[in-house]
Amino acid sequence: MAAKCSYRLFKLYFIIALVLITSSYAIESQEQFFKRGHTNNWAVLVCTSRYWFNYRHIANTLSIYRSVKRLGIPDSQIILMLADDVACDPRNSKSGTVYNNANQQINVYGDDIEVDYRGYEVTVENLVRVLTGRLPDSVPRSKRLLTDERSNVLVYMTGHGGNGFLKFQDAEEISDVELANAFEQMWQKRRYHEIFFAIDTCQAASMLEKFYSPNILGVASSHVGEDSHSHHHDPEIGVAVIDSWTYYTLSYLERVKPTSKDKMHYLLQSFDRSLVMSTTKIRTDLYKRDLTKVPITDFFGSVRNIEIVNVSVSVDGSKELR
Amino acid sequence: MLVDSITSNDHYHEELVLKPLATGHLYAHFQFTTYWHVDIANKDAFKHFNLFPKPLGQILSRYDVEELHFSLTQGLWRHNWWGYPILSSPPGAELSVWFAANMSQSIDSAWSGLTNALSGLFCASLNFIDSTTTVSPAWSFRPEGASKKNLNSSRLRYAVLTRETICTENLTPWKKLLPCDAKAGLSVLFHSLALYNVNYHSMGVHVRPFCKTKDCKSSGVELKQTLSLVFNPIIHSGSRDWNLENLFSKAIPSVCPLATTSKIFVDISNNKTYGGFLLKPLPHSLAPVKPTNPDFYAVYDLNRIDFDKPYASHGFNLAMEWLKLEKYGRGLNPPLDTHRYATGLGDENGGIRTRIYNHDERDINILYMEVVPWFFRLYLHTFEVLCSRKRAQNVLLNRRFIPGKDRSRPYLLELALRLPAKSSTTIKIDFQRAFLKWTEHPPDAHHGFYISSAVITTVLLNDANTTVPPLMASNRNHDKEVITRLYTEALLVTLPTPDFSMPFIVICLTSTVVAIAFGSIHNLTTRQYQLKNIEDIKKQSIFNRLISLVLPFKKK
Repeated sequence: MAAKCSYRLFKLYFIIALVLITSSYAIESQEQFFKRGHTNNWAVLVCTSRYWFNYRHIANTLSIYRSVKRLGIPDSQIILMLADDVACDPRNSKSGTVYNNANQQINVYGDDIEVDYRGYEVTVENLVRVLTGRLPDSVPRSKRLLTDERSNVLVYMTGHGGNGFLKFQDAEEISDVELANAFEQMWQKRRYHEIFFAIDTCQAASMLEKFYSPNILGVASSHVGEDSHSHHHDPEIGVAVIDSWTYYTLSYLERVKPTSKDKMHYLLQSFDRSLVMSTTKIRTDLYKRDLTKVPITDFFGSVRNIEIVNVSVSVDGSKELR
Repeated sequence: MLVDSITSNDHYHEELVLKPLATGHLYAHFQFTTYWHVDIANKDAFKHFNLFPKPLGQILSRYDVEELHFSLTQGLWRHNWWGYPILSSPPGAELSVWFAANMSQSIDSAWSGLTNALSGLFCASLNFIDSTTTVSPAWSFRPEGASKKNLNSSRLRYAVLTRETICTENLTPWKKLLPCDAKAGLSVLFHSLALYNVNYHSMGVHVRPFCKTKDCKSSGVELKQTLSLVFNPIIHSGSRDWNLENLFSKAIPSVCPLATTSKIFVDISNNKTYGGFLLKPLPHSLAPVKPTNPDFYAVYDLNRIDFDKPYASHGFNLAMEWLKLEKYGRGLNPPLDTHRYATGLGDENGGIRTRIYNHDERDINILYMEVVPWFFRLYLHTFEVLCSRKRAQNVLLNRRFIPGKDRSRPYLLELALRLPAKSSTTIKIDFQRAFLKWTEHPPDAHHGFYISSAVITTVLLNDANTTVPPLMASNRNHDKEVITRLYTEALLVTLPTPDFSMPFIVICLTSTVVAIAFGSIHNLTTRQYQLKNIEDIKKQSIFNRLISLVLPFKKK
């Protein structure tokens, strides 16, 4: 009797233990699943230069736009700011196109483009408002950065800059401090999980120096005191078509597929000073993850985490719903 | 059953009108019309969408819109070369909206909300439309649809942004409103390389209520999406010959299965006039341009084409081949034609001159509307109407002038004119250029500032130059008369612009002056001069003397 009883007890304990183990494992894997970081990807791509001779800045931005779209970020999650319309400019002999290479293989303007802020709308105020989310109620969804604390945001900027500033449309400028404060405001409002900030302009590194918010990975095309150069010009269009740093970024990105496991480290190490003609500056002190383990698609793509677990996970949300 | 009742509630038509113009150009007008048999004021109906585009429908319903006309145009329609278009629009962006009679919100807040929403929808900077660009014209615009209670112009808002450019990013969202997107039917032809290398490009969205029955007791919503292009085949191929494939770099591979009708109309009325041409393949039928007119349209019905047949291996291609060597004229003289220009030298005063030519044998009554930004201050005492017919009286029938207000309201001038037969009439008004504040200038202030096109509205009796195929799904003549609208040239006028680098120069200059002045004055005012006995100095040791030379104020 006693033996039977103890056997029953043992069975009971065993079942309880089993349940506990599985449930704790389930909770753990659930946490693990969501701890992997981001759940959505956004991109803010800004060209701050007006006028036809700044064709290359628009081509820069559109090239990145094309890449992130190809790697899976939808138009609704891309804020594209172009300070001028070169595609349909009367000086453009091939109306409706923007080419980032003299071979004219890829029309980066494409047949499916949505420019969210264009022309006079590209201002420092609008950029800061978009980043920090302080927009009037009437602004439509397509012009908003609707990120949350699980968003990885790619911020790419190009234009004419100097030590500590980036010019907007030759009329105003954003300073390094303003940008750093905007990111801090985003962090405090839980508007991002991680930011990858890339900037192609003269003395670009100066724009990274003032950042103080966590989880920002910054890369700049040139050191302070250095110029960023254009790559080559197209005799048919008559102007330079792309900047050097962006050109080599793209030549790397073109090899990346939505499924590839390429890591950020290799992208950031790929810049050859003799080719780019400026020294790439990388700022990693705010960024905690090991760059050799961060996939490029964490910022340039929109890859969802799908993990297959062997145990069944109970997702009974009835308690929480009540 | 349920599906049936939903689908029969709306229908969709695709049409393309092709018209060879007298100058050798080719006019292509795409029209995509969706009819939805629900009242536009019925908010519950605007919750379930079938063919009608949801993004637009929700905006219309949210802001109590009754009628909406939106166009984005690059280039100027040349009336004296090309006649009158099927739909006129001015260069830049034009938006005119009639709001519903009983609204839950104020018209002005609905207007600003609507412009913002549309700016997001069409990727255009329509959010720059504000009170400084908006007017409510009383005469020139009438609701085009079946609206009964809406004749009060206080419900109308009208604005033009001439600076607005149009490019692929505007067409992309516009295409997505079509039931077949750009994946089947006529919209497959929209290839950005072909669409922007043209003489005239105009994209439009027009929403209006229509009567379902004769007595107009119940109404539905009509959405008309239009795209007008003027090609110049001579530049591309050296001749007037064209075919769809070389115009759009694509033939039509399929028909949109959601479209009730899918037709191409080719105007063959001037087949005899300019040497004659051949159409390949032959049309399915002919349709008269007007009941009384011997001219015809060639009609192609895409639904009757079997796209699976090998004959259409890469789609349906339509070609026009001219028989004789090209002979194309300087265009036609339409009954009404205009030219507008700016006058004045220097940065202070200027003027606007509009010349309106009436080539017809009859007097023509027109309505003229001019909207001028507040920084061009119009002077009404300089207003004058001059007619080439010196004896003509009562050319100016009526005038309505609303003066502008700085930074809040533009100038609005509306005129009713009777143009004598075979005459030219000039409208003169002068303006003074205002100073803008430093921060009010756009980044490229030296480009100049636009005065939007003047609008001329008239009812032409002899409308041989207007071309609306009578078979088209959406005819304009809801009212029997055909209203023709002409948009004049937009004007680009410079304003006095400040030297934008001036503040920096001032900073540099003042800091230099301060540095020089401050140093010497500070030195003079803070230094103390004392008398010293030379004998005392002589008594000092060499070391002390050196010290006193280096540190002259050292106390002893």
